[in-house]
Amino acid sequence: MRRLFYLVREAWVNMRTNRTTTIVAILTTAFALACVGIFLLLYMNLRNAAGSLQEDVKVMVYLEDRRSSEQVRELERTLKTDRMVDGVLFISKEQALGEFRVQFPSESHLLEGLGENPLPASFVVTLAPSFRSPDAMKAWVERVQTMEGVAKVDYNQEWSSLLAGLIGYIELAAIGVGILLSAAAVTIIGNTTRLALLARQEEIEILRSIGATRTFIRIPYFLEGAVLGACGSALSLGILKFAVELFRQQIQLTGRFSGIEGMISFFPLSVCLALVMAGMGLGFAGSVVSLLRVGDGRA
Amino acid sequence: MDAIIQLIHVSKWHDRRAALSDVTFEIEKGEFVLLMGASGAGKSTLLRMLIAEEQPDEGQIFVHGKNVTKLRPSEIPYLRRKVGAVFQDFRLLPKKSVFDNVALPLIVQGASEKDIRRKVTEALRAVDVDHKNDQLPSSLSTGEQQRVCIARSIVNGPVVLLADEPTGNLDPERTREIIELFKLINARGTTVVVATHDPHVLKDVNRRVITLVRGVLLAEHRVGEGVGG
Repeated sequence: MRRLFYLVREAWVNMRTNRTTTIVAILTTAFALACVGIFLLLYMNLRNAAGSLQEDVKVMVYLEDRRSSEQVRELERTLKTDRMVDGVLFISKEQALGEFRVQFPSESHLLEGLGENPLPASFVVTLAPSFRSPDAMKAWVERVQTMEGVAKVDYNQEWSSLLAGLIGYIELAAIGVGILLSAAAVTIIGNTTRLALLARQEEIEILRSIGATRTFIRIPYFLEGAVLGACGSALSLGILKFAVELFRQQIQLTGRFSGIEGMISFFPLSVCLALVMAGMGLGFAGSVVSLLRVGDGRA
Repeated sequence: MDAIIQLIHVSKWHDRRAALSDVTFEIEKGEFVLLMGASGAGKSTLLRMLIAEEQPDEGQIFVHGKNVTKLRPSEIPYLRRKVGAVFQDFRLLPKKSVFDNVALPLIVQGASEKDIRRKVTEALRAVDVDHKNDQLPSSLSTGEQQRVCIARSIVNGPVVLLADEPTGNLDPERTREIIELFKLINARGTTVVVATHDPHVLKDVNRRVITLVRGVLLAEHRVGEGVGG
């Protein structure tokens, strides 16, 4: 028990003695990990967005004008009985005009001069979940396109694919930046441990001369590295949380992209804990690298 | 009697200069030995080899039955726990109290809180600094600091106590006190080896003397018994 207390106290004394180095190491590690965190947050939020887009795959089937209501009902029946279709909602020309006016009030005057309502009637089709893959959707759209009375078919799968591609790039960037900045964090903490080791060389000599094992001598430095890494990681999460909240507030204040602030999420608690543990691991690795480089003699 | 320290044809070179040259001798269990010689004679090198801080270039060294020259790095700490070491510069940790300094060898070994308290108190009492428990080394006199260093070296009951110029920083009166302390430790059964260049120490010790000159074992004798070979 006394041995454990001694080792923990030594780690604490190390950090207190080299206070400036410790603070600088925590801050630089925090900023390095915050940079990695930005990519992780971006990646996580875009994945969430892509996920909701996938869930919300809607296909717009625009109808040719001057179709009789019987023909429209026939097409609706055909669509509703399709096994790939989950739901069908009819939007008449008048409803389309009403929605346009609600969504774009300042541009609604553009339609006034045209006399006749130029917007087509349409069906909003929700595909069944098992047929939301890009290939299945494409095949379905091609089939519907040829049906009588159908003017055009539009769907947001292109957005979804684009987003998936973007996520792929961000994932790559996150991995690259993550590796680079994690190496930087290891080096920063490693150098801090190295400074502590050099400053306490005499003490280490004394410990060796009275029969301390390598492990006993090294444990405080390992602990110090792990604590620095964990503190740096926790601080980086604090910085990111602050940045996310600020971003949300700015969006609310400007009033643009209203509603998007609710979609921006921060890491859940489990991910936060995992990131702190990862920081701890990086700090530990930094100490190990430093101890291997500096060495501590034959024993 | 059993040899607790044995050197067999030990040689060591520092920058092509022989620090020790073909040195062979034995120290029996319970002996008090003075290792005499001028500065640079090879005394410190020899003591460092006994605790595996240095390795000989030739020869074998046995301490408490172990061949020190063949120890694995992981075995060295366990040798050092059996061999107490006292240094001229005391080597005390300046930011730790007298008690904590003396407790260090026991903490390293994982002794219980109760054992640490009992053994540290006994060791400090034995060297007569038990009243300075909570003080920092810097607040003690040089003689007291050397006593604390001795307490640390005996606290875990070593079989051998090595002292490298333990009186080098002390006045004659403190020197006599420290030598008396070593005699007392030796009387309790610990083998004591004191390296010194100070001939005044000889006056206080009626013991075996090994003399080194420029790394060569020049003579072995007992004070008052004449010079042997």
